[in-house]
Amino acid sequence: MIALSFETVVITCAIGLLIIGALGLVLSSNLFRMLLALVVAEAGVNLLLVLAGYRGGAAAPILGVQDAAMPMVDPIPQVLVLTAIVIGVGVQALAVSVLLKIHQTYGTLDIRVLREHLELDIARTAGITPAGSREEPAGGRPLPPPIPATVSASTKAPTKAPIKALAKESAEPSLSSKESAQ
Amino acid sequence: MILPFEPTPNHIVLALVMPLLGAFLMQPLSRISKPLGQLLGPAVLAASAYLLAALWLAFGDAPFVVAIGGFAPPLGVVFYVDQLAFLFATAVPLFTLLFWSRGEHSPDAGRSEALMLLLAAAATGLALSGDLFNIYVFYELTAVASFGLVALGATGQAAGAAYIATLRYLLLSAFGSVLALVGITIIYRLTGTLNLAQIAQLAPSTLHHPAGLAAFALLLIGFGVKGELFPVNTWVPEVYATAPARIAALLAGLLSKLAVIVIVRLLVLAFDGTGANTLLLALGTLGLLTGELAAWRARDFPRMLAYSSIGQLGIVFIAFSLPGATGILAGLAVALHHLVIKSALFGLATRWNGSLAALTGAAKSAPLASALFVLFALSLIGVPPLPGFWAKLLVLTGLAELGSQTAMTALLVVLLATAIEASYLFRLAVRLYQRPEPGTKPMRPAKLDVAVAAVFGLALLVATLALDPLAAMLGGIAAQTADVAGTIATVLPEVVAQNP
Repeated sequence: MIALSFETVVITCAIGLLIIGALGLVLSSNLFRMLLALVVAEAGVNLLLVLAGYRGGAAAPILGVQDAAMPMVDPIPQVLVLTAIVIGVGVQALAVSVLLKIHQTYGTLDIRVLREHLELDIARTAGITPAGSREEPAGGRPLPPPIPATVSASTKAPTKAPIKALAKESAEPSLSSKESAQ
Repeated sequence: MILPFEPTPNHIVLALVMPLLGAFLMQPLSRISKPLGQLLGPAVLAASAYLLAALWLAFGDAPFVVAIGGFAPPLGVVFYVDQLAFLFATAVPLFTLLFWSRGEHSPDAGRSEALMLLLAAAATGLALSGDLFNIYVFYELTAVASFGLVALGATGQAAGAAYIATLRYLLLSAFGSVLALVGITIIYRLTGTLNLAQIAQLAPSTLHHPAGLAAFALLLIGFGVKGELFPVNTWVPEVYATAPARIAALLAGLLSKLAVIVIVRLLVLAFDGTGANTLLLALGTLGLLTGELAAWRARDFPRMLAYSSIGQLGIVFIAFSLPGATGILAGLAVALHHLVIKSALFGLATRWNGSLAALTGAAKSAPLASALFVLFALSLIGVPPLPGFWAKLLVLTGLAELGSQTAMTALLVVLLATAIEASYLFRLAVRLYQRPEPGTKPMRPAKLDVAVAAVFGLALLVATLALDPLAAMLGGIAAQTADVAGTIATVLPEVVAQNP
């Protein structure tokens, strides 16, 4: 049996957290879960950063509290990790606020549905038929004339309904209840 | 130039402090007096651009170091200021001023202005930092400011789309930062320092092996998100299509270049001559090909510009991957060319934000804007007397001299991409000069946007005439950037004196 040092175990855990976060970002289709995956990945990297300055059995690098002759852990990664945590929390808070706005607008957080909405909305503001839509024939056949801007406003409601039905299965119950409480 | 005080190198910190202070004063000042609040931003940006230009003239000859708080380099945090840093630091307030949005996109004034100032401050810091962790912090600051600016563009019909684009951009960018932080951790673990000059000094013995290269790859992917590098550029078309065009101009023109400069500093100082160059070359080639192909298929003006910007940054990465000062010279030429042209084109897209078909016959109602588009298109493609040709020629000759198989593939891709680029740009140019369809009236760009684009067009023509002095200046900057021993000697004089 291989004797594992404490450091090796924790480094493995940190890399594991990073991988869990990366997989979560790639595999989940709910935006809130993607954000949580990002939080997990950030925790992993912060742990890794602290471990970069770890020394076995050393004291915390606080002047005046510890005996100066004792070995201390490297203080620089600890300073860095504080900054990284603060930045991470700020970005996450911003992300949650944008998430709420998205949920208010579209009523779903499913990335597959939202991507379709995004494509449709961009195409509508630009006044073109969205790529891969029923209106655009495949195989390089000629395109129908673009939708005039005046028609686009009235077509908004019917196009949204079928997409919403598709999204039903992956609506996030906890977030919608949170929002209704507000 | 005249300053109200005797300038010292340390005054360069003011170029960062003034916009930062302005950003936080913006809200209270706008509450007290609205006109004063509107004046604050442009005044601050003009002052810091003037200050940087004055300092560049006074101290630009030799690179120097500003130790923050007076702590000497290996321990303290430093600003490393050479010609490259001056060039991009001066460009930051200048371009932010030219694309100042004046709160027209948000209901309550002061918010987007504050974010713009924050962006300017952080971008200046990014250009000046000589320390890996400070680069990370300033990079995150620019990222947060740009998330806010993109989300603030959410008005009217596409409001939700702007939020989705922002969140997808945020997730990708934040995950990129996580990867960059892993890269920084590996470098710190291997070298025990975060100061770029000290990393450069220790690199040959500590970083030139697979683990060091992995750190570079992680940093490249991390900082490459803003630099529109190949696998992490999915946010580009969505964000540029939903954000206000002026913000898109700043993101595509200025911020992408600053991210590229960070990558170049790392490459030159710590990883030159390792597999890092090949990695950058390969990713740049893929980005160029995919970007130009997607631009060819795009049917609306903002997304055509966005995809073409991905392609152009591919060429920038290819150019910077060439070894030595010639690579940096080629990269600088392509990057500055793209900075000027793409910013101006996105400025025109403020009103020309619809489909390409809607622009048919726009030359009749907007003759100057159409003429400027044709000028920029010619220079982007690389038609001989214009600067774009010389920039592309530098890249092509550099690739031909390198002669390896990857370099020859990249050369072919650059030529192919030029043909694709010519195809879609000329297609639009022809459309602009066609007879407009009866009953339709193409939009005219706003006078201010056309004026800004005209300034850039004029700069392009002046550059065509003054090619030799410009090339000499860029050559000087490139030589200074490539001088690794000089950088180490500037930042760490005692260390070099001890072990020569």
